[in-house]
Amino acid sequence: MSIIRYEQTQGKSLGFYALIAGLGAFILAALAGVYYMEHNGHHVTGMSNRIVWGLPHVFALFLIVAASGALNVASIASVFQKKIYKPLSRLSGLVALALLAGGLMVLVLDLGRPDRLIVAMTEYNFNSIFAWNIILYNGFFAIVAVYLWMMFERRMNKYSRTVGVAAFTWRLILTTGTGSIFGFLVARQAYDAVMMAPMFVIMSFAFGLAFFILILMASYKWTERQLGDAIVNRLSNLLGVFVAAVLYFVAVYHVGNLYLVENSGVENFILVDGGIYTQLFWYGQIILGSLVPLALLYSPATRGNRTMLGLASVLIIVGGLVQLYVIIIGGQAYPMELFPGKEILEGYGGIAAYTPTLAELMLGLGGIAVSLIAVTYLVKFLPFLPESLADDVADPHHKG
Amino acid sequence: MSRLLIVFLSVMLSSVVAQADHHIPNLGEKATEFKDEGKEAHKRDGMSHAASLILQRKMHPELLSHKRDKTLRQGVRGGVVQLSKCVECHTSVDKDGEFIPVNAPDQFCSTCHKKVGTSLDCFSCHRTTPAEEM
Amino acid sequence: MKELNRRDFIKTTTATTAGVATIASGITLTTYAALPKESNPVTNEKRWGMLIDTNKLTESNIDDMVNACQEEHGWGNETHSTGDQQAGWIKKIKVKDKATERISNLALMCQHCEEPPCVDVCPTNASMKREDGIVLVDKHLCIGCRYCMMACPYDARSFVHESLTNQKTHMPRGKGTVEACTMCVHKVDKGEAPACVASVSSDAVIFGDLYDPTSKINQTLKKVQSTQIRADLNLNTGVRYSGI
Ligand code: SF4
Ligand code: SF4
Repeated sequence: MSIIRYEQTQGKSLGFYALIAGLGAFILAALAGVYYMEHNGHHVTGMSNRIVWGLPHVFALFLIVAASGALNVASIASVFQKKIYKPLSRLSGLVALALLAGGLMVLVLDLGRPDRLIVAMTEYNFNSIFAWNIILYNGFFAIVAVYLWMMFERRMNKYSRTVGVAAFTWRLILTTGTGSIFGFLVARQAYDAVMMAPMFVIMSFAFGLAFFILILMASYKWTERQLGDAIVNRLSNLLGVFVAAVLYFVAVYHVGNLYLVENSGVENFILVDGGIYTQLFWYGQIILGSLVPLALLYSPATRGNRTMLGLASVLIIVGGLVQLYVIIIGGQAYPMELFPGKEILEGYGGIAAYTPTLAELMLGLGGIAVSLIAVTYLVKFLPFLPESLADDVADPHHKG
Repeated sequence: MSRLLIVFLSVMLSSVVAQADHHIPNLGEKATEFKDEGKEAHKRDGMSHAASLILQRKMHPELLSHKRDKTLRQGVRGGVVQLSKCVECHTSVDKDGEFIPVNAPDQFCSTCHKKVGTSLDCFSCHRTTPAEEM
Repeated sequence: MKELNRRDFIKTTTATTAGVATIASGITLTTYAALPKESNPVTNEKRWGMLIDTNKLTESNIDDMVNACQEEHGWGNETHSTGDQQAGWIKKIKVKDKATERISNLALMCQHCEEPPCVDVCPTNASMKREDGIVLVDKHLCIGCRYCMMACPYDARSFVHESLTNQKTHMPRGKGTVEACTMCVHKVDKGEAPACVASVSSDAVIFGDLYDPTSKINQTLKKVQSTQIRADLNLNTGVRYSGI
């Protein structure tokens, strides 16, 4: 195996500037949306006292979950000693940081009082899983930054495995923490499941890897560097496994909930008669976000085709957003069981209405744009990308 | 470190100088009356009136936030430090005899806060004029 | 202000002003003729609670309670917020028992849980429980994350969706923060009953100290059968109901 050489991207082409300009436009639109929302108050959004977390939370949690998953590639290399993934470690760390930054931005800008962020950083309630998450996010930034440094600095290389293991552990805790945000809401039937946290971990694997693959393929294509099949096909297989695992967890989660009598109402709602949520679940999450990508990844006709891999990754990301939409919004739309054994005739109940507004959507998309722009810029300034990932460079066992 | 200290000290000094600037426009209706009667508002024992005023100007955020925590979180009521009392004395009245919000431009609170460039967050929630029944 | 407690004082004072604080501590104000005294902090020897008897409570009683609360605190006339965005600290609920078909009406507000989920989840300690059991939002610390609203099993909390002006002096409310029934803490601290309780002339709603064996609420709870809403969650609510 030859030595891997990393190199910055040139970042001078028209395409580069077009990309930056395009992403910049999204970010500006997001800021305009935020200004509009914060200036007027949340009454201009679709959110209400029943649907307290709306579309921005869908994007924010999606990005945060994907962030920890994007670190997987580096973890496989360092923790599980799979050499072939090693050259991808730097990019993996970078994508993880960028996605987390985007997600946190959305989360913070949707607060009722984003100007009081300093309060969130100084006043901690250690009983609150939310406060723990703030610590976990900050720690993730720090630990991944150190990890990247260990990888960049040759004399620090020898520590990179140790830090890699630490980062891997941290990201598992982080996603568990994110999942637990819901797990602790005992009164909401939709979230009352131990499965929530592990499901989030598996989801993070799939979403993070989908993002990673897209960014990897795009950056190699646009910088005209070589990217061999050895790596791409492995990543593609891995992606398939993760998607299947998510599907499995989703099935266990819903079947488990069906068995719990007290949760059968909300299960029925999501699976059968929840209108938009049922449709999103079956068509969006299951078919478009899981089954179609699996078919694309494994069927002989499309297997190994990069365009199809790209398409599958995009579908997984869209499906992931839909999944979080169903969990977050659907779970709130279904009323809480205030009086078990009684029917509420008046005053509370019914399915809460929610129509997302443009401002919310722009804020969410802006989060993705922030992540992508961060990656685009940083690969220009620091050598994140191996100059070539052609098969004979990347694969130690490749027989040319 | 020492450079930081110098920056820090000069910031403190300049803020003290700013605080010592006695010209405060628009004291507000009742406060002006109080002053014209020759009473010494905010006067503290063992301190000249001028010094007491500087202290009040410099420290009112701390006094208020100290008291607000006690009131809200421990149920300590009464006492001198109450935001509603600030508002009561320091609001002005317009031509029609209506109270002008104390955080409106050129009113008591906003004038200084604008001058020293600090945010004025109390009134995103608190009432800006004396209570209706007064 | 009487003696400023020096330690408390410095604790809440920033480094910049710590020097001034030292000078200020121990100094008393003399300008005001009769200095209003500060009351003592509330203690956990009391626990405020309410008992709502749905057999005695008429529907118009409930409307009166809701109106009294709105009047007292000034919520519910937000001009831009629509439908579910409007604040609702207390609401009228009509339930029918699925087995017996019996219908009961009740008023539902923050239940002032002893183990409040809203307080557990709040990242900044803005949601808090006073020593005497009243659960409040410290809006100075609230960042508007709305996690408490997700956690409350009683849909008791509202988010302020728009800018407000002309609030009541005793009830600051503002855009971007969360609010809920305060059990009229400003009245309770003066020794008065909450506005909703005062609005009902019968004894359908009793307010008082749950711990005090001589209080009416304590004695009634010993006599009649009462229940907590979602008692299965073990939150030990301060608001109890009988007749449902
Ligand atoms: S009823 Fe809801 S808001 Fe009130 S204390 Fe309980 S959890 Fe908190
Ligand atoms: S919205 Fe405010 S009170 Fe509620 S959990 Fe967040 S910070 Fe705490």
